Amino acid sequence: MLNRRFKDAGLEPWLAYLALALGFSGFSLYLFYKTDLAAPVYVLIALALLGGFSETRRNDFLNTCFGDQKLKKIRVAENLLAVLPFVAFLGYKQELLSALALISGCILLALVNFRTTLNVTIPTPFYKKPFEFTVGFRNTFYLIIAAYALTGIAVSVGNFNLGIFAMLLLFVISMSYYGRPENEYYVWIHSHSARQFLLEKIKTALLYASGLALPIALVLGLVFPQNLNAILLCFLLGWSFLVFIIVGKYAAYPDEMNIPQGVLLALCIGFPPLLIVLIPYLFRQSENRLNRLFP
Amino acid sequence: MIEVRGLSKQYGAKEVLKDINIAFEKGKVYGIVGENGAGKTTFFRCIAGLENYEGAITADLYPLKNHLGLLLTEPYFFPKITGAEYIRLLCNARNRTVADIEARNVFELPLNQYASVYSTGMKKKLALTAILLQDNEYFILDEPYNGVDIQSNMLITEIIHTLKALGKTVVISSHIFSTLSDTCDEIHLLRDGVFAEAVQKDNFAALEQQMKAVTIGNKMQQLNLSELK
Repeated sequence: MLNRRFKDAGLEPWLAYLALALGFSGFSLYLFYKTDLAAPVYVLIALALLGGFSETRRNDFLNTCFGDQKLKKIRVAENLLAVLPFVAFLGYKQELLSALALISGCILLALVNFRTTLNVTIPTPFYKKPFEFTVGFRNTFYLIIAAYALTGIAVSVGNFNLGIFAMLLLFVISMSYYGRPENEYYVWIHSHSARQFLLEKIKTALLYASGLALPIALVLGLVFPQNLNAILLCFLLGWSFLVFIIVGKYAAYPDEMNIPQGVLLALCIGFPPLLIVLIPYLFRQSENRLNRLFP
Repeated sequence: MIEVRGLSKQYGAKEVLKDINIAFEKGKVYGIVGENGAGKTTFFRCIAGLENYEGAITADLYPLKNHLGLLLTEPYFFPKITGAEYIRLLCNARNRTVADIEARNVFELPLNQYASVYSTGMKKKLALTAILLQDNEYFILDEPYNGVDIQSNMLITEIIHTLKALGKTVVISSHIFSTLSDTCDEIHLLRDGVFAEAVQKDNFAALEQQMKAVTIGNKMQQLNLSELK
């Protein structure tokens, strides 16, 4: 599947895997260089990445094909494979307890059926303007709680970088809500112009993401007043990347965001001022893409 | 009123709709019948503007899609969105505020549960409720009776009568002939991408007989069930 995606984007799979490996190593080294609490954060990120494998329809399909017992083995195997690079890096850093916690966590996630154990409607503060944050919050509420917990740790140990990481994590979580194109019916139903539709999406995203991230920003501002500029800059970056993801999504709509857009995102992470040029460009592309559904 | 002139639609080399001309008037209910694959859903998607097409589709309110309630054959629901949130999403999209959704829940749906776990019939009823609360002028209902219980069946028929009385334009497709004869003023038979026949209310019985004769024909002899004894 991944090979096919790379090929569809005109990339040689071996080259893409090499880039992924380099990106992963670079990110891991940077995280461990930046904070003493990198190991638990690293475990959390790895477990969060496993969320996609727990998707209900996917597992229903696998269950129909392979049956319950085989499905559990498949799920354990794919979770272990997915976290293997993380476990290897934790081993390299001699964080053996964290590596063990990660392995146990990923096996547990494979075996627990959240649908039966959590067969309740999770309340969300974002019910008034469905759907991205409404659905996203229910899928990732435990990560949001973890981000707030990290902020608590950051404040108690006086680690500003960890606090900023927690705040940026909330923006990354918010960005993940806009990762996939929705069914065209949910675009078609809007009685706006393409431009109004996009502006409305951006406005809601900024408002709701700020609602999530602002408490952390305020706490960090109070505890680390000397770093107020850094907090504001990171908040602004969070906003900018969120807007980038939204316009990037609709610039490819109804297809999924493609690998060249991923490359642009990577470039922006390396050099954020690029966002100033890319956001208006992708906004115009999005408008063109959506005009078919907005006469 | 919705007017369709010279509508043609192709998927690659396959011509699904061929130069269709038809008008749907205010305060009338129209039925579209045809075999599976006759082009009914494509026809509806063209009217809604979800497909590119050749020809012209106009309405007295512009743009048509902003006043159109479209009930899809199989409505799609996001996982982890409740019935009430689904209704709110559709109403927000049309700048409509519905103060008390629960009070207008005529199908008595569990609106606080995730819509994706609803049964087929419940999903259909939820989607129908949402487009009704959007306060549209035109309605396209693709198989509104699919999977719904008999009580809801009666309620849907009554809703369609009410929409007609309110002067709305309603276009329905259904594979259950009785539901069409109960609600429609005209039935149009779509065959091989063209409207082969248009029948007024007093000739519905004849159309049903004709469709039975064409559809069933000698197929029972062909199946030869008596030999299975």
